[in-house]
Amino acid sequence: MIVDNLIDWFPTSAAWPGLTFIVAVILCAVPVFIFIAVYALVAIYGELKISSFIQDKVGPMGQGVGLHAWRWGLLQPVADALKLILKEDIIPSSADKKLFILAPFIVFIGAFIAFSALPFSQTLIIADMNIGIFYILAVSSLGVIGIILAGWSSNNKWSLYGAMRSAAQIVSYEIPAALSIVVVIMLTSTMSMQGIIQYQSGLVWGFLPNWLLFNNPFTFLAFFIFFISGVAECNRTPFDIPEAESELVAGAFTEYSGMRYAFFFLSEYANMFVVSGVAATAFMGGWQSPIPGMFNTPGWGLFWFISKSMFLIFMMIWFRWTFPRLRVDQLMDVCWKGFIPISLFNIFGVGIWYLLIG
Amino acid sequence: MGNYLGNIWETITTMLTGMRVTLQHLLSIRRNNVTLQYPEERWPRPERNIGFDHSNYNVIRSRLHVDIDDCIGCLKCERACPVDCIKIETVKVPNRGEDIRSIGHTGITANGTKKAMVVSRFDIDMTECCYCNLCTYPCPEECIYMTGGPNSEKHEIDYEFSEYDRNDLIFRFAKKVSDEEIESATSVSSGEES
Repeated sequence: MIVDNLIDWFPTSAAWPGLTFIVAVILCAVPVFIFIAVYALVAIYGELKISSFIQDKVGPMGQGVGLHAWRWGLLQPVADALKLILKEDIIPSSADKKLFILAPFIVFIGAFIAFSALPFSQTLIIADMNIGIFYILAVSSLGVIGIILAGWSSNNKWSLYGAMRSAAQIVSYEIPAALSIVVVIMLTSTMSMQGIIQYQSGLVWGFLPNWLLFNNPFTFLAFFIFFISGVAECNRTPFDIPEAESELVAGAFTEYSGMRYAFFFLSEYANMFVVSGVAATAFMGGWQSPIPGMFNTPGWGLFWFISKSMFLIFMMIWFRWTFPRLRVDQLMDVCWKGFIPISLFNIFGVGIWYLLIG
Repeated sequence: MGNYLGNIWETITTMLTGMRVTLQHLLSIRRNNVTLQYPEERWPRPERNIGFDHSNYNVIRSRLHVDIDDCIGCLKCERACPVDCIKIETVKVPNRGEDIRSIGHTGITANGTKKAMVVSRFDIDMTECCYCNLCTYPCPEECIYMTGGPNSEKHEIDYEFSEYDRNDLIFRFAKKVSDEEIESATSVSSGEES
């Protein structure tokens, strides 16, 4: 949407189509990058505080001097980011230098380009593709290439183990996530993100908003399968065996420090937002208001979308500080013996439901 | 099949139990918080009944203290210190045993000794001090001593001496006057004498 509007708006678009396209794309990409950076600071602060509260501690409270000294440690993530930027850039001498430098960017790009299809509000979507949700599922698994590159180029056994585990995990969990999205596509009969959201307007069961989460028991199950698979794709605890601090030091990121490590960190948080955003779009009505018929302007739409995504991110943080890490074989068990049969059953059930009830 | 579904059911219920526990901790942080924000809040001192008033004894730590009015600037403590954490500078006074009001110099110590020196600098770096107590024995005026310990008298500097900055642990006992003031106060009168 925004990209198309920008291209139409440029007066020279007829004369320089290629140039106009590039300028329009950059004009869209810069705000998204700023949004990711700001959101990551908020999410890191939230993670610090929620983790501390769950453990009966208070978290950063700004007891130091300089940047740390702010109420409730509010500037702690800024100070952390500054520290990461200023740190020395270390490349191990026996690492494969080109791949080592390339890896964090590929991981970040995988998370970054998925934002172009996230519908922030009725009008605020960078490109409303007619295969939007398929596009996001496709590009969000690009990141695993970067993780494998990072693990391989580090020339380090921990990194390689982490990369191999990550590949196994992400490839496995793509399947239940995609199968759960198939349920959504069957009901809405569109792959466009805006189309999926528009399907979810109005009421269901008389009083609930017509989100797919509440639409029928099979979509209810599918939401949880998609969300938990999403947590696994983000490599977050309890599925964080690619990093697994206590087993693999830091997995694929062992040899990284400073800005390159910050990019891995940033893309983990960006991935969390993508997964939460897709879950909010596909199952929780995206920018639709939870009270049907009220607060439905584009401004409120942005608010609802961000709130729903942030709620799901809070759930992820809550998971992380509740559950212990799964073993590798348990992880595969959960996916292949638990999620995939249930999501296949879901597709069957939704088909029957669609035929009988509509 | 029953076992399979039973496992799934057990997984879901135990997960929800765990999440309920963590949520309770998250929500009741104000009540359950165990962190003490140290410089702002402190643990209450332990109540002890050892036969005398609680507010009258020194709790734990000891620290060197100097009664600077009694110091004659003999440098014996500085020489005795094994880690050289005491730094003393002195200036000769024109008339021995005379007060110099302008720089707060007292002429006669509590023991009745007439002072020949103005102590312009008396710094003790407590980050280096090893608490050996060797400096207190040679002092002829008994003006440098360790405070603290439950058996000595209650002293105002008690309990703990942590600071934000390391430089704040260098205790400067000399009167806070500038070098120029000391120089003018001592040299003018010496000019009269000669």
